[in-house]
Amino acid sequence: MIKQLSQRLLGPVTLLCLALTFWLGLWVTPPDRVQGNLVRLLYVHPAVAWVALYVSFGTATIASILYLWKRTRSFTMDRIAHCAMEVSVVFIVLTLITGSIWGRPTWGVWWAWDARLTSTAILGVLAVGYLALRRANDDSTLRARRSAVFAILSAINVPIIHFSVQWWKTLHQGATVFTSNRQLLVHGSMAWTLLLSFVGFTLLFFWLLRARYRLEVLRESTQQMMLDEALLLRQREGVM
Amino acid sequence: MPSTETSELSPVAPPKSPSRSRWRSVGVLVVLGAAIIVLLSQGILHSLNYFETVDQALAQRSSLGTKVIRLEGVVKPGSISRTSNGASFVITGSKDRQVFVDAHGSPPQLFQADIPVVVVGHFTSSTSLDFEGTQILVKHTATYIAAHPKRVKAPNGTTR
Repeated sequence: MIKQLSQRLLGPVTLLCLALTFWLGLWVTPPDRVQGNLVRLLYVHPAVAWVALYVSFGTATIASILYLWKRTRSFTMDRIAHCAMEVSVVFIVLTLITGSIWGRPTWGVWWAWDARLTSTAILGVLAVGYLALRRANDDSTLRARRSAVFAILSAINVPIIHFSVQWWKTLHQGATVFTSNRQLLVHGSMAWTLLLSFVGFTLLFFWLLRARYRLEVLRESTQQMMLDEALLLRQREGVM
Repeated sequence: MPSTETSELSPVAPPKSPSRSRWRSVGVLVVLGAAIIVLLSQGILHSLNYFETVDQALAQRSSLGTKVIRLEGVVKPGSISRTSNGASFVITGSKDRQVFVDAHGSPPQLFQADIPVVVVGHFTSSTSLDFEGTQILVKHTATYIAAHPKRVKAPNGTTR
């Protein structure tokens, strides 16, 4: 009952959170002292990056670990990892695009080869590589095992991205939310809107993941149905 | 007489061999490795540490010579003057160490006094503290404060 209700509410609640974020971000929150109205990208870019790096890539990694662990091994875990990685690719691309749009007027350039940007681009390549690796393997068990190992190895890049602004001197700003001294550097209504954007985009990820997962289950069952039909046809041919 | 459909007993293709999958996986990994090497080489070529601070540049002044570097410092208030081909200003490091910058090209939208900038360019001579810039990049901080705080006065006298 609760599960059904939460599944039904996921979409509307996501849309409500995102609509509220855009309303607050575009009309209610004040312009920033330095950045002026450019600050409104604060309600999109960090939340999208949060989902790309931690939520979606994290989901894919955890599902991959659970697949490799004998006790929890199932194709459901492999399917979750696959779907989460596909959604992750979308969010990584969005992270790079929104960051670039923000970078042009603030930094003065669309792109800089600093440690944060380079490592994020590498994560994008790794996520696409994961999907390519899946397509390269025909055997489902082999595919699940290889891609799980690859996802876990790729996840090493996530802490590198996170700490890159501390380990090296970058053009990208330091941490805004997860600062080393746990001090939020965003003031007033801007902070609440930022928090709401994190909730909205996280819910959007789970909504997309759920939709993609259902699609994958349908695709697999259709394939199985076609295979069964083909086998039946062969059997009939044999009889005749 | 058998129907056309049932009489088609063409042999089924054998299942693809695991070695073919292995080679395709190796191919994907090779392409992936090459892409990562290209990205990393770009990052490393442009240096992981994106810039030198004013303090670091002045400490290595003799070794830097007139080599092209990215120099980071805070724009000194009152030092900006627009020139015919760009802007000149002073950037400071800690302990009031200063470098005079003459930069060509239009500065970014956010360029202003008291903001951290990264200037691409070189010192004009091996001993000079004058820096000739070809590009100005603004390195904004992670602090976000309302542009006009305390502008509205509430009936109880507090501002918000």
